[in-house]
Order: sequence, then structure tokens, then C-alpha cells
Amino acid sequence: MLRFLLLRLLRLILATWGIVSIIFLLSRTVPDDQLIARALESQTDLNNRVVTIAERQALEQQVRHRLELDRPIFYFSIRPSAPGARAHWHWNGFNNQYHQWWQRVLHGELGRSYRDNKPVASLLTETLAFTLPFTVLAALLAVGIALLLVLWMAQHARWRTYWLAALYGLDALPLFVVALLLLYLLANPDGLALFPAYGFGDQEPSATWLEETGNYLYHLALPVVSLVLITLPSLVAQLDASLQQELQAAYAVTARAKGLAFRQVVRHHTLRNALLPAITLVTDLLPSIVAGAVVVEVIFALPGMGRLLADAAATRDYPVLQGAVLLIAIVRLCSHMVADWLYVQIDPRLRSRL
Amino acid sequence: MPNLYAIEALNLLHTCLLSFDNAAGELQPWLANALPTVQYKDSLTLISYQLRKAATWDNGRPVQATDVAFTLKAMNCPGLPNEGLKSRFQFIKDIQIDPKDPQRFTLICQGRAPDYIRESGDYFILPEYALDKEGSLRSIPLSYLQENSAATLARNPVLSAFANRYKAADLAHHPDKLPGCGPYRLEKWQSAQYLTFRRKTNWWADKLRRIPFQLQAHPVAIDYRVIPEASTSLLALKQGSIDIYPLVPARDFSTLRASATARRKLNFYINPSYEVVTLGFNTRQPLLHDRLTRQALSHLLNIPALIQATEQGFAERTVGLISARSRAYYNDSLPLLSFDLTQATSLLQRAGWLRQTSGSWSRPNTNGTSQQLTLTVSYRANDPLFEQIGIQFQSAAAMLGIPIRLKPTESSLLAGKLRKGNFDVYIRTVAGNPFIFNFAPILHSASIGVANYTGFGTATSDKLIEAIAAEEDLKRKALLLRKFQVLLQQESPLVPIFFLPYRLIASNRIKNLQPSGLKPGYEVKAVITKSSKANK
Repeated sequence: MLRFLLLRLLRLILATWGIVSIIFLLSRTVPDDQLIARALESQTDLNNRVVTIAERQALEQQVRHRLELDRPIFYFSIRPSAPGARAHWHWNGFNNQYHQWWQRVLHGELGRSYRDNKPVASLLTETLAFTLPFTVLAALLAVGIALLLVLWMAQHARWRTYWLAALYGLDALPLFVVALLLLYLLANPDGLALFPAYGFGDQEPSATWLEETGNYLYHLALPVVSLVLITLPSLVAQLDASLQQELQAAYAVTARAKGLAFRQVVRHHTLRNALLPAITLVTDLLPSIVAGAVVVEVIFALPGMGRLLADAAATRDYPVLQGAVLLIAIVRLCSHMVADWLYVQIDPRLRSRL
Repeated sequence: MPNLYAIEALNLLHTCLLSFDNAAGELQPWLANALPTVQYKDSLTLISYQLRKAATWDNGRPVQATDVAFTLKAMNCPGLPNEGLKSRFQFIKDIQIDPKDPQRFTLICQGRAPDYIRESGDYFILPEYALDKEGSLRSIPLSYLQENSAATLARNPVLSAFANRYKAADLAHHPDKLPGCGPYRLEKWQSAQYLTFRRKTNWWADKLRRIPFQLQAHPVAIDYRVIPEASTSLLALKQGSIDIYPLVPARDFSTLRASATARRKLNFYINPSYEVVTLGFNTRQPLLHDRLTRQALSHLLNIPALIQATEQGFAERTVGLISARSRAYYNDSLPLLSFDLTQATSLLQRAGWLRQTSGSWSRPNTNGTSQQLTLTVSYRANDPLFEQIGIQFQSAAAMLGIPIRLKPTESSLLAGKLRKGNFDVYIRTVAGNPFIFNFAPILHSASIGVANYTGFGTATSDKLIEAIAAEEDLKRKALLLRKFQVLLQQESPLVPIFFLPYRLIASNRIKNLQPSGLKPGYEVKAVITKSSKANK
């Protein structure tokens, strides 16, 4: 078992390194013109003076130097030695952006955001503090509701088709449609204004802990419901199919033939086996719990990881982009490891093969 | 890296020497007691300021010329993120403080330009006592910072120590360490969520006998809410959880204005801006090198239809890059661009293009080969306005047999392509204002490769642009500007399509919004509410 976990860990480290390196190199090969322009230009196109190409290049060089973007990207590059000459391999040494970044990461430093100069680690921690409560809540609710619904459908076969049809219909809707529908239906003064339209709400200094929590949950209601509705169909479909298959199995038929109540057969015999294929689906929720949901965060104006990542990508905030990708990659690969471990724990056939 | 919204917030915390009155269209003294006096000496411009006697920092210390000197030095100090500011204000070579009056000083500026007066007073004054308690920069002249190389300056221990202290203070996250002499302080904020400003109870301008417009600050508290989605903002406005929603998309604005319930609770404003939508041609491309082809393609734009489709009929048409609101400078004798396929055909034929039997256009090159008239239009991806313009241009061109490929491009990639000249035609906006008429950055040949994306620039146009920038006499400037608009229409390196309107919706408890054509489209400090609290 230990060997199995160590092998998985080694694979996780290699895969994280690979993913992060690819994202690093891809993101740095995209032009950074807008990043530099934002640092330099005034807010209008009609300025007071002409900046010549030479001046502009000197200014850009200063900004790149400050942001440490003037170094080579990787250990080697392919470039011509002179304009017009043939391109050839060029060794850049260890003073390159990639090497420096990993060196810092290994020392526990992820750099500072280009946009607001905050350390990336604290920016990620702060953002996670906003993201995790609503994504964890949504994931728990989705899993819980899926289990209950599947059990209920197993016992009420007549309704199963209708529920599944409704859920497949829901699955066809993109997240932004679901979120906007909820917003227009339940936060609209022209219709039902039951919920607030955005944000986490203002905390009154005199509010008690209970009032604060209530206000917080009230503001999170629509974002959480959106995420639950979008996660639920696939979970239910998978669990239901798996449970139906198990119910056809000989051991389940035998149990029923022996006079065991249907409810007992489901709860004590088939459900455990039916959960096996759903493990991957449930552990797959882990990375999305950390990565947030950019669509929901944008629509409900929540400051989450999804928005942070999207903004960082759009504004070429490389340190934040790299830090967030590193975190999400680790969580995704960890989720695979957790899934593998759970399979081994639940399925004795796999355990015996190790 | 401040953007327009950050500048709006900074305007609440800090003050500049001068401000611009949008309504009157003229400069106003802000922290300065009066508009500066200007003298010319050889190749230098001497701009003298007197600070307001009443102006103080939060601790009661008067704002002095030493603070202005400190600000200018900080803007030129190596090791700080000030590259853009340093470049912008490099014309200010030195500052001389009046030995008899610590609130009077003269800025020594290199050269002579009409814009120097406005520019010399357009930066936030920082408190020396808070950022450089020991006055370490006092011993270093501004000219030393400007004349020495970056390497020399980096070796200066005083400058290095100051830069390290400044960076260590982490002012971006500790605004309490950077008190301003503006009317508000930042009470609380949360990144990507909100900012709350509260008016100072002991603001120095309250003690003035007559408070000028630029020093008025009515709201007791101002909350800025960050809501990225337009639909959510509209619902928040309808719910009453925000009071003002600026820069509203056209469709949302029209939909809400059509609602009788909304009209009872909200006020709607549309103001033409100084941001003009343009179609630019890469004049370096052999296909677009001649002006007749560019003129022909200009006639494929059905501007009234575009205004109807994208701006619900509300946008200001124009003959050039100057708004008709700048009445003295706008050349009203020029015709507005017409959608005219016959004229476009005739111009193409005059440019040497021949229509083939297949319906396409070609013309012979000097080397015996032939050119095919086929173009790619690049614009920022996910922008419905640009997309609509592109589609309309494409369909009009198709009527004449000109194949147009639309290429929505990610904004940073697009910026790089435009600078390098890797495009045929672009669609973008040019942001201007009512007080700068210097077209050199976007149309002078010296700016090719920087911000002159069209690559246009002839000896005549360069001379005219330089003359406009240097002209101080307003009548002569008006004549030159009118001539420039004629030249722009003849040469057509870019086609000004229309000035974007800025739409604003506000709760009807908000008064005195002073809507304007400059972002964000209103004057927040002028706002008066029943409870004197504005949420945005």
C-alpha cells in the first residue's frame, strides 16, 4: 500500500511539474504588449507629446527589467545570432525566468502580483477564503441531494423517468444561463426580489454571529443553488445508472428473493457497490472547489478564484496566473490520488492485487 | 498601474495643482491658488505657482512647495514603478522654491508648448512628511535625477534607501501611510468587491469663505461596488442597492428606460463622449497605400445604420477626430461620410482597380503580377460594437465583390499586431478629451511603431500636426485644426465613425450628477443626495 501511494505521489509531482511548466512557457510566449502599455501609457490616445520608437523601447525595457521580464524565458532558445542569419540553439544559462520562478517556489515564494503588488501566496489565501465556503457548500449539497434523490428514485420507479428527463434537460443548460435565470427570477424587483443580486452583503458592526452567518448564507443562496443545479444532473445520472445495474445483479435479486425489503437491499447491499463509479465524479469536484466558478463569480460579483485566474490571464499577471495554476494542478492531481486510494479502500478486489 | 477607475478614486484622496472644468472647458486652480503665470526665457518655459494658503495635510501641516518638489523627485526616482510618469513629466527640468514664500515655486520646463501649463499641474501632490520624514531627497536636485543614467542613479545610496523605504511601505495596501490633501479618506476596501470613502470632517477647503466648484465635495460617504456583469448591475440598481450605474451598455439602457416602473425610480442620462470609434487602414500595405482605395473603402460604412444598430440611434457623427462640441475647432464645412457604393466603385476604378468577371477586384503591380483586393479586419475579440461594425463592413464590401475576413483578436495580441503593422484594417476607439488636440502620437510619422498604427505620415501632415501642437493662439490653432480635418478626410488613414455616447443611470434621489463626456461620465464629488451618501 505504501509503495502504491509513493508511486502515486511521484507521478503527482512529475505531472504537476509538467503542467505548470507547460503553462509557464505558453503564457510567456504570448506578447506582453498590453501589460507593458498599462504600466506606461496615459488614459488617452491624444497625449501631449510624441514618444519615439527609441524612447518607447527604452521605457519598455525599464518596465520589463522591473518586472524581471527582460531575462530569457527558458534555459535555451532558438534565435538567429544576427538579423537575417539562420536561427540556432542558444544556451541562456540559469539566469532565466523559468529557473528563477522554480527557485522561488522551492523557497516557498510565489512572487508578487503585477496588478496590485500583493504577495501571490497571500492573494491566493485571501481568495480561497472567499471561494471555499460557497464551493464546498455547493459540492456537499450536490452530493447529498444526489444521494437522496437516487435513493428516492429507486423506491419510486414511476417518477424516475420524469426526474431523469428533467435533470437531462437541466444538464443541457450552460452555467451562465442557469445563474442568469435564477438572478432574473429570484432577485428581480419586477418579479420576485427574494434574494440580493450580488456580493456577500454588508456586515453591520452591531450584528451578532448568527445574524452575520444568516446574512452571508442569504447572499450566497443563488450562487450556491446555481452550482448545485449544474453539478446535480451528472451525479444523479451516474449514481442512478450504477444503482440500477447493481439492482439487476444476482446478489441483489437473491436478497430480494429471500424476502429482504427493497429499501434494505438498496441501503445495505447495492448502494455501496453503486458508489464505486461515482468516486471519480465526486473527487473531480475537488479541483473545481478550489478553482471556483468564474461564471458564477462574475454574475454574482463574488471575489473568487475563478475571477482571479481569469483576470490574471487577461491582464498577463504572470505571478498570479502561475501561482493559481500550480495550486489547481496540485489539487487536481491530489484528487486523482484520493480517488485511487478510495477505490482501493472500497473495492477488495483491487486491494488484493496490490 | 492605475486605470481610469483607480484615477477616479485617487481624485477623492489627493489633489493636483490644476483641474479641468468640463462644463466650462477651461483649466481651474485646484491646489494652486490661481492659474500659473508663465514666462519664457531662452529655450525654457518658467511656470510659477502659488499654493492655496489654507491647504493643509491631515495633521494640519501646510501643503508647501517642498511637497511639490518631493513629488517631482519621487516621480523621477529610480527603482520605483514610475516609468510612465517619468517619461510624461520629463519636460519639467527643475523646481525653484521662493525663499520668501514656502508656498510659491517655479517649474523650469524645457522647450515651449501650449500644453505645458496644463501638464505642469496634472499630478497628485504627495506629502513629504509622510514618505520622506528625513527630507533625504531635498539634497538631490531634480535635474540630477533627470540627467544621470539609470546605472549612476542606482548607485546613489540616498536614492536607493528612499526607494527601498517607499517599496517597504507597501502603500498600495496601506493607504493610511499615504495621507492626501483631498476631501476623502479610504475607510475600507476589499479587492474585487468594494471601496468605501468617507469625507474628512476637518478638510481644509471647508474653511474657505467661498468654496470654488473644484473644491466642493458633497457626499459624506461614497461606496464603489465592483460588479462585473451588466445584468447584475441593472438588477442592483432596480433593487436600490446601488445609486449610480455609469457606462451602461446601450441595449440595457434602452430596455430599462422603456420600463415605466424604472422611470419612476431612476433618471437616465446620455452624453456624447470624446471617445471616437475608428476604422484604421494600414497604409504600409500595398493594397491600402493609395488614398483613393482608402476613401473607397470608407464609403462602405453605413454610419447611421451602425449608430442605430449598436447605440440605439444615440451617437454623435463626426467629420474627423474632433467633436462638433468643440465648435471653434470642428470643421463643419466638411461633408459627413456617406454610404455610397457607386462612389466607392468609382474611387476604386480611379485607384486602378479592375473588376474581374468573377466579381472580384485586381490591379496590376509594377512587377507584372497583380494584386487582389481582399482584406482582413482585426478588432478586439468579444466586443459586440466592433463585431457589428466588422459584419456590416464585410457585408457592404461583399456587395462590391471585395472579400473581407473578420479577425477578432485577444486584446494584448491585437495591440502587438497593431504596433508591428501586422494587419490590414483595424477597428478600435481613440480616446481623446476636450482640451488636447495633439494628434502626433497617433498620426505623426515619428510615432510609427509606437501608437501610429496606420503608419500614415507625410511631410505635409507631420508639419501640420507639429504646428497644431505648438500653436498658442486659439484662432490660428482653430484654422490649423480645420485644415487638419480636411487633410484627414482626403488621406483617410483612418475613418472616424462616431463618438461613443456615455450612458448613465442614477436613482432619482441623486441630484447634481453633472454628466459629462469624460469617464466615468459624471462628477462624484458634486453629487447631492437626500442622505448625502452615494453607492456606485
